[in-house]
Amino acid sequence: MDALLNLGMGFQHALTPEALLICLFGVTLGTFVGVLPGIGALTTISLCLPLTFHLDPLLGMIMLAGIFYGGQYGSSITSILLNVAGSAPSAVTCLDGYQMTRQGRAGVALFVTTIASFIGGSFAIVLMIFFAPVLADVAVSFSAADYFSIMLLALVTASTLAVGSPLKGLCMVVLGLILGLVGTDINSGQFRYTFGIATLADGISLVALAMGLFGVGEILTNLVSGVLPQLENTRVTLRSMIPSRLDMKQFWMSCTRGTLLGSFVGMLPGTGPTIASFMAYALEKKIAKDPSRFGHGAIEGVTAPEAANNASVQAAFIPTMTLGIPGDAIMAVMIGGLLIHGITPGPQLINENPELFWGVVASFWIGNIMLLVLNLPLIGVWVKILSIPYKLLFPAVLLLISIGVYSVNNSSFDVLLTFVFGMFGFWFNRHGFPSAPLLLGFVLGPMLEENFRRALLLAEGNLGTFIEHRVSFAFLVITLLVMLAAVMTSKIFAFGNSKMESA
Amino acid sequence: MQMRTQNNNFISQGLDNWTRGLQATALLLALLLTACGGQEAATTGTATEAATSGSDYPTRPIRVIVPFGPGGLADVTVRIAGEELNKSLGQPVIIENRPGAGGVAATSAMLNADADGYTLIVLTNGTTIAETQFTDLPYDITTDVRPVSALAWFDLVLMTNPESGLTSLQALLDYARSNPNGLRIATINPGSTQQLSAELFKSKAGINATVISYRSTPDVLGALIRKEVDLVIDAYTGLKGAIDGGQALPIAVTGAVRNPAMPDVPTVAEAGVPDYVVTGWNAIYARSGTPDDIVAKLNKALTEVTDLPEIQAMFLELGVEARASTPQEMQERFLADIFKWREVMKNANLAGQ
Repeated sequence: MDALLNLGMGFQHALTPEALLICLFGVTLGTFVGVLPGIGALTTISLCLPLTFHLDPLLGMIMLAGIFYGGQYGSSITSILLNVAGSAPSAVTCLDGYQMTRQGRAGVALFVTTIASFIGGSFAIVLMIFFAPVLADVAVSFSAADYFSIMLLALVTASTLAVGSPLKGLCMVVLGLILGLVGTDINSGQFRYTFGIATLADGISLVALAMGLFGVGEILTNLVSGVLPQLENTRVTLRSMIPSRLDMKQFWMSCTRGTLLGSFVGMLPGTGPTIASFMAYALEKKIAKDPSRFGHGAIEGVTAPEAANNASVQAAFIPTMTLGIPGDAIMAVMIGGLLIHGITPGPQLINENPELFWGVVASFWIGNIMLLVLNLPLIGVWVKILSIPYKLLFPAVLLLISIGVYSVNNSSFDVLLTFVFGMFGFWFNRHGFPSAPLLLGFVLGPMLEENFRRALLLAEGNLGTFIEHRVSFAFLVITLLVMLAAVMTSKIFAFGNSKMESA
Repeated sequence: MQMRTQNNNFISQGLDNWTRGLQATALLLALLLTACGGQEAATTGTATEAATSGSDYPTRPIRVIVPFGPGGLADVTVRIAGEELNKSLGQPVIIENRPGAGGVAATSAMLNADADGYTLIVLTNGTTIAETQFTDLPYDITTDVRPVSALAWFDLVLMTNPESGLTSLQALLDYARSNPNGLRIATINPGSTQQLSAELFKSKAGINATVISYRSTPDVLGALIRKEVDLVIDAYTGLKGAIDGGQALPIAVTGAVRNPAMPDVPTVAEAGVPDYVVTGWNAIYARSGTPDDIVAKLNKALTEVTDLPEIQAMFLELGVEARASTPQEMQERFLADIFKWREVMKNANLAGQ
């Protein structure tokens, strides 16, 4: 009941005209930059951070948070309509979302995405209201060994992201791991594969990689193949947006799984929405009765990742606001916004600044409802993008990608890198190498290695540490089961085939 | 009635911020165009203006490049000081973040601009470490820039988990000496002031310790909370919340004198490890060749700004001391720190690249 009373107080602070206006501004801006490929929440929040220095801390947080979760709503739109990732977490939404568009189901895809995003976000907010301190304690108790085993499971499922040849998928995972090695080794400080290029000392930019593979590469493929994605009928009626009964059944289950997974991943400090959405997709495909539907417009391939990344960004506030330990890079920037007001997030924040904590939580609800109201009627407008002639659309998208990538680090080298990856992406597309496993390998690889070595350093080189930690042990067992299952099913599959042939 | 005035203030301030935000966006776009369009064009285009003498300086906005992302200590201190500089110099001070690569990206950007005092850079004690860490830098930091003034000084804090029972530096040292595996110290990434301070602590205290690297200050704090490590060495700013909230117990500070924010916490030297002192700093630098009178004007303005009581108070809140210096003092400090950290890296076997 205390939580509800506090929440009531939060609403008092979040329902003032200024707070409502600034929340609307935040989520609208977030949606907008989310739609623009490359320009993501991190860039926008960094740019808007100075604006908050003179605002009331609560208003500043409401705005920045609105940009953050608003961006997750927006970024799936570009993925679904153009097969160009709006941001890294939405890259995986391209796989089935774009196929739905090609089947003339863009309206349905956007509709379920918006609803799934809302559900994912709302669930994580409920968690935050009732269980924030407990969950934060649990999340922070995860040690390096635990992280290693969780990442290992994610990596093992990564190869299922492949459409077509599993071998090619595995190749791409490994390539992603190798690309992830580039940069400064966190344990020794040594540079690896930087080739004397100072910018590479920080590693390859995730945005550059994602935009190259899932943006420039796609555009090149379209241009060379000559089959331009022009849709005849771009009129979206309310009727065309309504999912079929079969869709709805698949929707609820995948949305629930995505939400739970996203909330879990989001709470773990150091992860982020990209891991959440990719893992959600992999999970859906893994447990689907007919995995071959994925990559050909399966609705779960859209709802699960979108529910997961929205749940994840909302859940990332749990450790940030209750322990002062940010869930990801964007949260860290937001903490900077509070620092300038002399507020340091920590365990005392809830007690010392209750109006700030509960006001922000209340604004999450308001913001998510605003996004729902904002996005549903806009679907018809977004789909109109498809009626723009491709010869006008693609230069505009390329320009936006360049600006977006540049703005992350103010680095023209990153723009160059994007186009190099774009050419690789084009080559991958032509030869049936899936890009999604590469991206996940790239994100997970460095975390896997870093935590493995840290765990061993902490345990004085004793490998038993991975079994001694309970969480780690549990995840290792699950990983083993997943691998066994994969081997078993492929054997049964091969056996079945040979029987058919002999018959 | 009072409520209403506040609201009006809020709106006018908001508008003010808006214009500034727009300016920043315009600058960003302009920068993008110059970066893509070729840097020669940009340099020759403004070369004519560089000849203007310092007497009417500044006549246009001043750009300060910060080699870190927004929200960090360096960024926040420069932004606060920038507001005041804006008032005293009569021109906007625009902060531009160019994070990463040990400051190489930021320094290169700065060296592409003219030596006219309109493009400045924030260097930190981290720059003096990068000097040894990066062996083939595309510039020579000791001659390509000239100091204007120091801005902020800060110490690091040694912290333990309050439940560990290691409530004093002496208890920590005893524990380290009695434990066969020594001490586990968590710091942020290799090549940081924090990590080298830990290495320096290890050698000055003569103890056996493993320094474990984490990606960020919150990660370091997490490690301390779950008792993965015995000691954390990091700046006060990022861990103020943890200290106030009882997650971390400060047992000593690394400065030459006690930290005014925590007057009860002794310095490391007082508590039993003599001649161990680490003080970090942020300072404003200009390109070499910037006219003396411009540097003098900026130095005077910065000295006035850092002396302002409200700046003193705001910096103290962040756990740092606002204090300017003469260019000469800064130069000496810079060279001394390069030497100091080079020795630490050599002793700790941390190779340069």
